[in-house]
Amino acid sequence: MATFLQVAFDGLLNGLLYALVAAGLSLIWGVMDVINFAHGEFLMIAMYFSYWLGFIWKIDPIISSVAGGAFVFIVGALTYRLVIRRTIGKSAMSALLATFGLSMLIKNICLNRFSPNFRLLQDTLLGGKTFNLAGIIIPVPQLVIGLVALALLFVVYRLVKKTRLGWAIQATAMDKEAAELMGINTERIYLLVFGLGGACVGIAGGLLPSYLAVHPEVGALFSLIAFVCVAMGGFGSIPGALLASLLIGLVEAFAGFYIAPVFKYVAVFGLYLVVVMVRPRGLFGW
Amino acid sequence: MKKSLFSKGLLLVLTAFLVVGAISGAAVAEEKVIKIGTLFPLTGPVALAGQRCRAAVETAAEVINNAHPELQVPLAAQEGVLDGYKFVLVHADHQGKPDVAKSEAERLFDQEKVWGIIGCYNSAATKPASFVAELKQRVFMCGCSSSGALTERDFKYFFRMAPTDKTESLEFVEFIEWANEHKGSDIKTVGLIYENTEFGKHAAEEGRMAAEAGGFKVVADVAFNPGATNLNSEVQTLKAANPDAVFGACLGGDYTLWVRTMKQMDWLPKVALNYCTGYQDPIIVGQLGDDANYFMGGTGYAPEFAELMPAVAAVEEIYKTKTDPSVPFDSDSIQEAVALLVLAQAIEKSGSLDPTVVAETLHANEWESPLSMGGKVAFAPGGQNIKAMSMLTQLQGGEYKRIYPVDLADTEPVIPMVPWKDR
Amino acid sequence: MNTTRKMSRKDLFWLGLLAFFAVIPLTPWFSHSSFAQHVMIQVLLYSSMAQAWNILGGYCGQTSFGHSVFFGIGAYGTGMAVVKFGLIPWPGILAGAVIAAMVAVAISYPCFKLKGHYFAIATFAIVEIFNRLFMVWYWVGGAIGLDYGFTEPGWKNFVWYQSKVGYFYGVLLLFVLVFGIVRWIEKHRFGFYLRAVREGQETAESLGVNSTRVKLSAMALSAFLAALCGAFFAQYNYRVDPPMVMSLDMSMKFVLITILGGLGTFYGPLLGAALLIPLQEYTRAYLGGIGGGVDLIIFGLLIVVVVVYQPRGIMGILDRIVNRIRRSEGGGK
Repeated sequence: MATFLQVAFDGLLNGLLYALVAAGLSLIWGVMDVINFAHGEFLMIAMYFSYWLGFIWKIDPIISSVAGGAFVFIVGALTYRLVIRRTIGKSAMSALLATFGLSMLIKNICLNRFSPNFRLLQDTLLGGKTFNLAGIIIPVPQLVIGLVALALLFVVYRLVKKTRLGWAIQATAMDKEAAELMGINTERIYLLVFGLGGACVGIAGGLLPSYLAVHPEVGALFSLIAFVCVAMGGFGSIPGALLASLLIGLVEAFAGFYIAPVFKYVAVFGLYLVVVMVRPRGLFGW
Repeated sequence: MKKSLFSKGLLLVLTAFLVVGAISGAAVAEEKVIKIGTLFPLTGPVALAGQRCRAAVETAAEVINNAHPELQVPLAAQEGVLDGYKFVLVHADHQGKPDVAKSEAERLFDQEKVWGIIGCYNSAATKPASFVAELKQRVFMCGCSSSGALTERDFKYFFRMAPTDKTESLEFVEFIEWANEHKGSDIKTVGLIYENTEFGKHAAEEGRMAAEAGGFKVVADVAFNPGATNLNSEVQTLKAANPDAVFGACLGGDYTLWVRTMKQMDWLPKVALNYCTGYQDPIIVGQLGDDANYFMGGTGYAPEFAELMPAVAAVEEIYKTKTDPSVPFDSDSIQEAVALLVLAQAIEKSGSLDPTVVAETLHANEWESPLSMGGKVAFAPGGQNIKAMSMLTQLQGGEYKRIYPVDLADTEPVIPMVPWKDR
Repeated sequence: MNTTRKMSRKDLFWLGLLAFFAVIPLTPWFSHSSFAQHVMIQVLLYSSMAQAWNILGGYCGQTSFGHSVFFGIGAYGTGMAVVKFGLIPWPGILAGAVIAAMVAVAISYPCFKLKGHYFAIATFAIVEIFNRLFMVWYWVGGAIGLDYGFTEPGWKNFVWYQSKVGYFYGVLLLFVLVFGIVRWIEKHRFGFYLRAVREGQETAESLGVNSTRVKLSAMALSAFLAALCGAFFAQYNYRVDPPMVMSLDMSMKFVLITILGGLGTFYGPLLGAALLIPLQEYTRAYLGGIGGGVDLIIFGLLIVVVVVYQPRGIMGILDRIVNRIRRSEGGGK
């Protein structure tokens, strides 16, 4: 029983991490109908950013995560300005391909600049700390990431649903032309959304180096899982992405432990297929 | 109108690369040089290891080409081989992909006109690349690809320096038996954790066979996908099976994640023995700090081996200038340097640049190799270095301490590993 | 009258192109450089792959990222025949292609009800699932893969060791087959159905086209041809393992080449491959050895630039040039 709870808890914590990574992707997808292939590379950039802050100035990842968020906000906004903006309104595939090229570019620039070394921060505030709750071991870094994920998702959700800016974002997502007629600067909304999407993944990446090593290939699997989380949750739905991420975390943990670790991603991707067979527009899609 | 213009455009594109191709075929100046191709994964998931291997070959070329009388390495004192022939390296990148390795090997031979190739780190890439070399009857020197299958193909032009997974597995089992007898370790069960790649799978199969032959029970067989985001279920599976000994084959970032996850889950086996992997990475101690301690592994070289291998330190200084960030040799990369040093001796001895003669010479003799543990290299049919040795080390206080075989040991092993809470 | 003349011109161009390819091995450029041969073979192979994908992705408008699965099944078909059963590759090639087509129908039947990105991500998921299952399926070699031994080179075993001319004509046959089928489809009623489905399922249905059947046929044909390409790939590289053939990387190549060349156009896949493959091979040859992924940086940058400035691919660029000239001619009159 203790093992069962432990596995479930690990799964949930991982699910929250996936939710944090997926949140930005979900936002971008929902508003702009763009799959950002370079999402995992945004995560990697934030991890490097946080790592270097920690390595050179001994800044803890908790603090660097904020800076990481801000940094990737700028990266996201730049990506929009230089690349995505020019693909909007053209073939649906062009944004996807452009971001695929971008991911290749970013990955290899990091390989070139930072070498393929994997890097892990030592002696961080959270690193390696655990506590025991009724026989379940709870790792502090993952727990903090989970809490940050919940808080951030809540903030993003409120922002979209309850603020004037959020209404403008929703209006833009529903009908760009109509929104423009109502006097919304959709260009600015897009820029902001891409930046915000970047900021979310930037915060995730900023926190990660306290337990996960940074290297140029680190984003690959994360971005794949984030795609599945977002699609499973349903077109741009933040609560959907959260639920899907938690499900994926749990399925990954249970399949990994009770079937075999090699099958854990088979189960995760299989789950996606099953879900969309039943609900072709995802859990919360309409 | 439209079509003819279109066809012109098409022809333009086609001729464009025709021209590029023609230029690339341009003749190579005939000097007293021996061109050697290096073929490593310089990009992709194992780029780190690949770039170090390349630096090691560069180091060996530097040692042979220039007069280095201060080094205790054969041919170091003179300049080049065969009265002034110098090695020129042509680097290529196979990205960890077998199909790229094959086509790059062909390009190195046909276009770059290299005399032989050193590579490829990944066993999966070494297979097709050395196949190409064998077809062309050119020498292929393999430093550290560890798959046993490579030297079971009866190739005549293929030579491998490093011990195979099999050798290491047998050594692991031997060590456990010794520990049971002399240390009262009471180890009965074995668990395997490995990345599910051609390397990891091979290692695990050999590990399982060796363990079962030694009468140990394999209670956990955990394969995972490299580049993992977490290893929770993997470690949880190990913890639930609770094997006394674990054989591990995890590389780079996965190794640190594995160790950290075990710490989080507050579990350790009595002994953790690692194949030629993340355990031996010279930067691992810096990355993991105290958490890296008490793990063990087969090690072909570590800087702490200075008294066993006195000639290495001076060569290592050159290697350090070629790596960024600067690192000492590790068990993998040093074998790539050995590959070129042995090849140079064979060329010098055979007095010829005929690949067949050199390959026969390589087979017929025993070579001095101060960079190899044991100091000798000799090849069995199929190309395996039968003098290849590795010994077991344990990280203690951030240093690789020699623990087995006993006659070469400098430290008593700590068995069982110190639990996390007592560190 | 006008149309027939146009058609025959198009045919003439196509035949001329084939003749051009057929005589390439006679040129000194080809015979002197095995690397040029390699690049040429890659161009033809990848353009065939992209064209196979184009049937579904371009003409029918279903963006699949799952084609490496069919490519992989084709590669495993011949790999198993040769390595595991010790046969000649031909029955394996055929079996692999048929199995690939069946697998394609089986997995896409439920997937076709998904739209847009949901479909695209489902095909991602399928690639990942197949990749990971093949990694642990030891009957087909698992993570260790299948390695070819030495056999007698020639058409019977479809391997050549010393010269690549055999491979070149082999891939040229494949190229003619794939492009020929697509030429035929373009003119045939089936091509019209495909485009009708692309423009809108409802419209297509209202015209009396059974869209599910059309999509499934396109998928089966596309997978069959992709599997043939996979079989060639295995024979050419003397090895099959899951990351080589069944990976997202490989899937992306199908998509990338077609879109860069021109989606849903006949010459698009060839143009895309003729640009991308030499670029990839030559940058790697000249810059790969430096390390640090300079070749991949350039490659990635190029993709971004082409997509951003000409989302219709090279065909779009050519069209624009043609139009500009037309306009200036018109102005002259």
